[in-house]
Amino acid sequence: MSDATINPADAAPVGSDAPAEHMAIPAGYDDGQDHIGLEHHTSTGLSNTKLAMWLFLGSECLLFGGLISTYMLYRNRRADTLGPDQLWDIPFTSATSFILLMSSLTMVLGVQAAKRRDDRNTRLWLTVTALLGGLFLAGQIYEFTVFYREGLGFTTNLFASSFYTLVGFHGAHVSVGIIMLMATVGMLLRNRVHGNKAETVEMIGLYWHFVDIVWIVIFTLVYLIPA
Amino acid sequence: MAIIERPTDTPALAPSGGAPAVTPTRSYGYLRRPVQTTGWRSWAFTVDHKKIGIMYGVAAMLFFVVGGVEALFIRLQLAGPEGTVLSADAYNQMFTMHATTMVFLFVIPMAAAFANYMIPLQIGARDVAFPRLNALSLWTFVFGGIFLNTSWFLGGAADGGWFMYAPNSAVPFSPSNGVDYWTLGLLITGIASLVGAVNLIVTVLNMRAPGMTMMRVPIFTWMALVTQFLLLFAMPVITVALVLLLFQRNYDATFFEVAEGADPLLWQHLFWIFGHPEVYIIVLPAFGIVSEVLPVFSKKPLFGYPFVVFSGAAIGFVGWGVWAHHMFASGLGPISVAVFSVATMAIAVPTGVKIINWTLTMWGGKLRFTTAMLFATGLIVMFTIGGLSGVTHSVAPSDTQQTDTYYIVAHFHYVIFGGAVLGLFAGIYYWWPKVFGKLLNESWGKANFWTMIIGMNLTFGPMHIVGLQGQPRRMYVWTENRAGDGFFNIGFWNLVATIGSFILAVGVLFFFINVWVSRKNPPAPADPWDARSLEWMAENPPKEYNFERTPTVHALDEMFHRKYEDVGEGDAHDYVKVATAEEIQAVETANRDDHVHLPSPSYWPIVLSFSLPVIAYGIIYSTLLVIVGLAIATVAMFGWALEPPTADDSEFESPEGGDGGEPSKELVASV
Amino acid sequence: MNNRTSMSVPKGASTVRSVSRRLRIAAAVGLGALVAGCAQDAPQNTFDPAGPNAQRIQNLQVPVFIIAGIVGVITLSVIAFVVWRYRDRGQAIPEQTHGKPALEIGLTILPALILIGVAIPTVSTVFALAETDDTECVINVTGQQWWWEVDYPVQDGCGGISAPIVTSGQMVLPVDTPVLVRGTSRDVIHSWWIPRLNGKRDMVPGRVQTNRMQADEPGIYAGQCTEFCGLSHANMRMEVIALEADDFEVWKANQLSDYESPTNELALAGESTFIAQCSRCHQVNGLTDGDGDPIVSRPDLNVYSGAAPNLSYLMTRTTFAGAMFDLLTPECRADVWEAPPDEFGERYLEGVTPECLNRVQLREWLRNSPAEKPMYTDPNELAATNGLPRGMPYLALSEGQIDELVAYLLERK
Ligand code: HEA
Ligand code: HEA
Ligand code: HEC
Ligand code: CUA
Ligand SMILES: [Cu+2]
Repeated sequence: MSDATINPADAAPVGSDAPAEHMAIPAGYDDGQDHIGLEHHTSTGLSNTKLAMWLFLGSECLLFGGLISTYMLYRNRRADTLGPDQLWDIPFTSATSFILLMSSLTMVLGVQAAKRRDDRNTRLWLTVTALLGGLFLAGQIYEFTVFYREGLGFTTNLFASSFYTLVGFHGAHVSVGIIMLMATVGMLLRNRVHGNKAETVEMIGLYWHFVDIVWIVIFTLVYLIPA
Repeated sequence: MAIIERPTDTPALAPSGGAPAVTPTRSYGYLRRPVQTTGWRSWAFTVDHKKIGIMYGVAAMLFFVVGGVEALFIRLQLAGPEGTVLSADAYNQMFTMHATTMVFLFVIPMAAAFANYMIPLQIGARDVAFPRLNALSLWTFVFGGIFLNTSWFLGGAADGGWFMYAPNSAVPFSPSNGVDYWTLGLLITGIASLVGAVNLIVTVLNMRAPGMTMMRVPIFTWMALVTQFLLLFAMPVITVALVLLLFQRNYDATFFEVAEGADPLLWQHLFWIFGHPEVYIIVLPAFGIVSEVLPVFSKKPLFGYPFVVFSGAAIGFVGWGVWAHHMFASGLGPISVAVFSVATMAIAVPTGVKIINWTLTMWGGKLRFTTAMLFATGLIVMFTIGGLSGVTHSVAPSDTQQTDTYYIVAHFHYVIFGGAVLGLFAGIYYWWPKVFGKLLNESWGKANFWTMIIGMNLTFGPMHIVGLQGQPRRMYVWTENRAGDGFFNIGFWNLVATIGSFILAVGVLFFFINVWVSRKNPPAPADPWDARSLEWMAENPPKEYNFERTPTVHALDEMFHRKYEDVGEGDAHDYVKVATAEEIQAVETANRDDHVHLPSPSYWPIVLSFSLPVIAYGIIYSTLLVIVGLAIATVAMFGWALEPPTADDSEFESPEGGDGGEPSKELVASV
Repeated sequence: MNNRTSMSVPKGASTVRSVSRRLRIAAAVGLGALVAGCAQDAPQNTFDPAGPNAQRIQNLQVPVFIIAGIVGVITLSVIAFVVWRYRDRGQAIPEQTHGKPALEIGLTILPALILIGVAIPTVSTVFALAETDDTECVINVTGQQWWWEVDYPVQDGCGGISAPIVTSGQMVLPVDTPVLVRGTSRDVIHSWWIPRLNGKRDMVPGRVQTNRMQADEPGIYAGQCTEFCGLSHANMRMEVIALEADDFEVWKANQLSDYESPTNELALAGESTFIAQCSRCHQVNGLTDGDGDPIVSRPDLNVYSGAAPNLSYLMTRTTFAGAMFDLLTPECRADVWEAPPDEFGERYLEGVTPECLNRVQLREWLRNSPAEKPMYTDPNELAATNGLPRGMPYLALSEGQIDELVAYLLERK
């Protein structure tokens, strides 16, 4: 081979009229997975992406496990500065928690719409989910500012640091979820989702539900169980 | 390259000559896809698991030399009393970075190199499940490692020891940026490990060739799978610890600040919950390698394959319940100490199973002592010594005499060097022809092995003595006053260890010499070792698509069973060779798959990886850089999301055919 | 093995003891070979117990090492046999056997049984060594970068201590008395380890940890900080000094004796230099200023970790600066360290005489301590610690001042 390197800039765009016959994609390949080979099927029957998401979430459990343990260890270490009992506004947080829970429901609706190949409703429900998530996040930011104004900075005491770290990490996860949701909506709109849309949506759904469940644990341990 | 098209009955694709290649015609995301097949671009943007594996290996070996040279400095300093080669500060950085480099930048990536290269081949797949993520892991590790090591030139490296106990890692006690580099560097390489773990687990679970049930999966792949699970669950734990430390050092949090009521033991728990599984992460891949090598050179199947598999899994489980054996002296209270002590003893049982099964594999075999086999046998012997000193640590009251002395240093170098490193070298010699198509020189190989064995025993053997004579570890000097005299004299044995370490270095150098002298070796035969597992059904080196057709698996040791038949009657066995590897490969070629879709190279993994050290430098020096890094990351992620993993057919100009009528496999490999 | 050892094993240990006696025979056999032909072990030898706590560990570890050794020898012999016996001599391809489950299960259970055998005495020893309520004397240690402070709270134990005693680097205790060391740290984690008396125990800031100490015979027992604690971790040593009960009384009385004003010109000048230069960090009990008011040092304002060694009776110790240096010349040092047990107390209580003082080293220390012991004292690099050094800073003393200070310190005993 003389020179197999091709400078992309030199390559004349030919358009999409390339000979189609020997480009035939084997049936079933169009599943949007990153996996290789002719087989559509996988050894476990679970799709690669889904399995990967499950594994990732398994790993995330330990991440939150570590953060929650840190919080539980330090929740009462605050000398005579502010602590949970002076700060929590349970009704408010319950309301935002409820919003987040509801977003799981809308996520389910989104996934179902995607399974029906109903793009319009998929977009709708994903947007609603993202909005609910955003509402939850807004609540959290509001809550943080209230705490901050009352005098609980990130470094005020150990309780504060571990609280903000834990809840902040969860918030970051919600934000990532919202970005994924909105990006998917955008890509659905412009029809740029590769492969199986239903599965893409389902995957985001898995992630979203996980983040919700983690919140339930956090809400119970951090807010409801008295320090 | 994206599409490998071999319609056997289709005529030449294009009449003209020239480079056979496909050309992207539409850009995805922001840029056209890379298409180079030679030169650095073909490596930088590749998603081929084999190229990635090779790059993993090369980078890891470079870091091995870095870590090794650091070790030599350590040994020089300790050769005599009141050493003056290094200052106290430099010494502390030296052993911290030695350990960090060896563990995180040599052994784990080297194991990842083997896993990347071999797993798809061993399970009959064409690549890993997520090739782009694979490239991401590689580059994240490479950039993370470089980032970590730049600290040497930017104000000093980390100096708190590789387990970086709090509160000694806090700013007042370690005011240079070293610990920040360490924290961020490990966060970055942690991402590499995590992504790699997800990828490889999915690959093993999902992409096995037809017929390859879990109990037919080659043992190396099994052990690598357990390793990846350990990584998957261990990495987030150290991530938490590192994040807390990062927040403490850079954002004034007080997670480990005693004055604020913090508990320094939190760090120890978090670190060792990661750290103990970590030591099995270090050794299990090597166990997998020797479990491949020993049967091949004994001409027998692995004795008790299910036992070896289950003991590996058992190690993976029990490994989570023993972390506090690193904390026997830290005042946990007698109940915890007793529990962890007993649990630690329990883990010796599944490890013992492996030693016993390897020995029984060789028992009654037909042993050929090639270099690979020598390394594998060396592992059994050396690891046993290290394992048994491990058992003496597990006896908690004795450990209070041993912990933080050189006796521990002796233990873990025997299990790490004598276990993991010898195993990795066995793998290098065994699979070299597979990867590079040439054999390594056996004479140099044997010289390599024996110098390394002699060197390691001279280096680490005496550490048992000086440790039990009470020499603590992590001391930049030792003093004549506490050295004693006579046979167990600390001074003498320290000198021996230093001399040994240089012999060891010569041994390592022999390896590099071997690589050099072997570069012009003739092509290796298809099956140089009379091997047993599936990867030997592919060519040496394998084509980009690995297998001519997806193999169907009928047995554990598939390759052996294709080559040999037992023609003995009843209990008498008589194995005759019914096919050579060349013949088997020829059959595969004749029946090759027509359509093979491979993922396309991509810019985005390396770009995304690159953003991480930028962000990290930013955290240390300037928020502006953080923003730049985040911007790069965002661009890369959107580019990634908008780019299909395998380029669409319509994106490509037709491959311009090279040599006319005959469908060219070369074409396939080169585009 | 000497008799006192077994006699001083605490009562609660009788169960262990019957086992341990048999084990000790094995120990003697096993170690005999090793110990023979060795002149003198390092002072921190972990296989040379000198008190019941270390002895208890010895009784456990010797058999464990022997078992490990036997298992190792058997395993390696089998491997050697296999390697030799089954090497390729052109034999036919062996049977492709995939294993023999019965054999494998057997060979799994065997190590498990051995380990159960090890586990039982391990657990009982763990609990015995964690005992804290049978001790008769409490001594506190506080780790700090890079030296140990030792103090004796007021108590009835230790033959009665009427006022707190504070010293550094060397812990003096009466022989045959079970002592409870209670320890903590002022900065990072350190580890208290006197190998011949007991295993180590980390001293963690914010926690109080305990460690049993008991010596059978008078003598010096060397130790070393074993948790990495920063720059001079290697130089953070300590010693336990065991004295007969009456010698201990003498030592105690001396530690509580009144301040003695300097007796000669030079030392008198040293006193004022000391007050000017040193007393902001170093306490000398009984030192007064011009008005007769006691001078109280404020190391908490001058050293990051908040303390500096109390120098009131410096010359009763034999080492200084985290036991890194000898206060005694090499000959005098050997005299004390190698004294037979019955003469040891007398030698030690002599303290540092003018003839024996290691002037060179003490002067070097005063001249430029950071050059002698790596510490964190460069004034330009102390931003992280609010300008406070970790360790003793360079004080730019003149040679004359050093002469005075040495003369003054020589009388602190
Ligand atoms: C490759 C890595 C590796 C491996 C495999 C092991 C294996 C083991 N390790 Fe090791 N260990 C380390 C790496 C490793 N270790 C490192 C890096 C440290 C120090 C970290 C630091 O402080 O920096 C450490 C420290 C360490 C400690 C803490 C010491 C201290 O700091 O005080 C302990 C304590 O229990 C311990 C125990 C063990 C045990 C029981 C095993 C067992 O798994 C060994 C089992 C193997 C055998 C026992 C041999 C073969 C078995 C037979 C032949 C069967 C018959 C056997 C019997 C009947 C006993 N290790
Ligand atoms: C994977 C793990 C690994 C590996 C492979 C090694 C390998 C070696 N280690 Fe390592 N070591 C650790 C992990 C490892 N170590 C850990 C975890 C610690 C604890 C640190 C801590 O306390 O925090 C430690 C600590 C440690 C200490 C104790 C330091 C102290 O406590 O003060 C010592 C001392 O001798 C030492 C020595 C060595 C030596 C001589 C080698 C040798 O095997 C190195 C051999 C390799 C070479 C010598 C490379 C030479 C190559 C060349 C010279 C090639 C020539 C050049 C070209 C071709 C360009 N190590
Ligand atoms: C800013 C505080 C500071 C000042 C001022 C200071 N020292 Fe020190 N000194 C220390 C510290 C801290 C140590 C412990 C160092 C170590 O061992 O790591 C020490 C150790 C010593 C020791 C060893 C004590 C022992 O028991 O181990 C001597 C002797 C000593 N100093 C003498 C002096 C004299 C004399 C002066 C005055 C000229 C002086 N120091 C001034 C802080 C100070
Ligand atoms: Cu104090 Cu090490
Ligand atoms: Cu461990």
